Amino acid sequence: MTKPYKAYFLDPLWRNNQILVAILGICSALAVTVKVQVALTMAIAVSFVTAFSSFFVSLIRKITPDNVRMIAQLAIISMFVIIVDQFLKAFFFEMSKVLSVFVGLIITNCLVMGRAESMAKNVPPIPAFLDGLAAGMGYGYVIISVGAIREIFGFGSFFGFQIIPTFFYATPQNPSAYVNFGLMPLAPAAFFILGGFIWIANIINQKRSF
Amino acid sequence: MFVFIGGKSVSSSEQKPPTVEKSHNSRTLIFIIVICSSCALILAILASVLKPKQEEAKELDRSKQLMISASLLSPEGYFLVQKDNKYVPAVFSEKEQILIPSPSIVKAKSNEILKVYQIRIRPFLTDNEGNTYTFQEKGIDLAKYLEKNKKDGFADLPLKLVYAILPNNSPQNISGSTTPIGYVIPINGMGLWDAIYGYLAIESNGDTVIGTTWYEQSETAGLGANISFPSWQKEFKNKVIFHKGATGTTDFARAPIGIVVVKGKVSEVYGSSPKADSAVDGITGATLTGMGVTNAYRDVLEKYRPFLLKVHQENISP
Repeated sequence: MTKPYKAYFLDPLWRNNQILVAILGICSALAVTVKVQVALTMAIAVSFVTAFSSFFVSLIRKITPDNVRMIAQLAIISMFVIIVDQFLKAFFFEMSKVLSVFVGLIITNCLVMGRAESMAKNVPPIPAFLDGLAAGMGYGYVIISVGAIREIFGFGSFFGFQIIPTFFYATPQNPSAYVNFGLMPLAPAAFFILGGFIWIANIINQKRSF
Repeated sequence: MFVFIGGKSVSSSEQKPPTVEKSHNSRTLIFIIVICSSCALILAILASVLKPKQEEAKELDRSKQLMISASLLSPEGYFLVQKDNKYVPAVFSEKEQILIPSPSIVKAKSNEILKVYQIRIRPFLTDNEGNTYTFQEKGIDLAKYLEKNKKDGFADLPLKLVYAILPNNSPQNISGSTTPIGYVIPINGMGLWDAIYGYLAIESNGDTVIGTTWYEQSETAGLGANISFPSWQKEFKNKVIFHKGATGTTDFARAPIGIVVVKGKVSEVYGSSPKADSAVDGITGATLTGMGVTNAYRDVLEKYRPFLLKVHQENISP
């Protein structure tokens, strides 16, 4: 393989984006995109887990017996997920309360397994690490964008700061003014926004291939 | 290259003679044992290293939530102090060991929070007749008592937990016993999905609510989980836990107790009835969580009624 390291890093960011193109890791993308801050934490956690688990899966790729490689991958992935979980509980307790089970569920995030299975077990550790990191970041910027849209329209805030002025809002005296979009905090909203993103990504990718 | 579990194309070992198969199996076994035990070892070390830090974070969070319900701390993380019947931002004075009003908003540090908690919050016990005891009097270790009962709550115990909110005095000035300015009662109940835990702070008249918090819940995100939001919790301020009768007077011995989370808006459900003073607006889409919250307040506070009655009587006839 003579692919430059840069290609390993750039490829999963857009052309092979795990959410937009491979449609992997959707379940957690629905759950953790209610607010930007939560999405950002999740993005960092997933990038960390994918990068390091890809690195170690690649490191032991030559001695891994083929019939137990998935179990081995899963053991490595869950180890890193638990590291993240323990770390959050110790240093970012409030955030770990918000994320609750979703950190643990990174283990079942198809994206992490997908990178280990389709890339890390076939390439040397450094490219595997770059690929995993970029896959996590590609996932990250998508969920942060979804989170931004949902937070702005669902709560009128961005990163916890109120950006839609409070005097815009409906009050008992002025009931016909602005109200938050009630669908946005719910999971279906993430479905619609994500669907829109995938549609746009498809249009751009199609144009490019001509 | 791709071998799928359950697929037909399994590794080449199938065709090999049995002797090779055996060595292959033991190699696999050794590999898995090494991988799993090294992962387990790393995690065990990490968990034991981070354990004290995690306990500390949890403890700090619980203290914070209690202080928020007692209006010693704002949900944004700065201290509050009562001035002309209003809560204003404050800072902790290291020298005098009290909270002093501050014109600017300064976020409280965690060691300050724990210190103010130590000074201003005092846990004690009450029995089914409303008598109060300190932990020393009963010879109970606070940490063990909390650890043992935190899951099932304190309301059903013969000796129930109450926290007293002490006035904003310097500890050196406290001579003998001081009259608390309020009490915090730990509340627990069932939400829609799982157990919910919170605090309810009540003024020294045993009736008016200072504030409430729900610090542990796993309700639906965006709907029921909003019970942990300060924007909803602030609705509870100045409500009364003993329901007023139709004439607007309260029969403390017999009146229903608790705070009702109504479905919709209080103004629409109760209008100008005195019952509105013990009710708060529900959260849209979280009716069942609201019912869980209502039941939790009612069931827990009913058990504390003797204590609350005693507090109330002492307050009106000192």
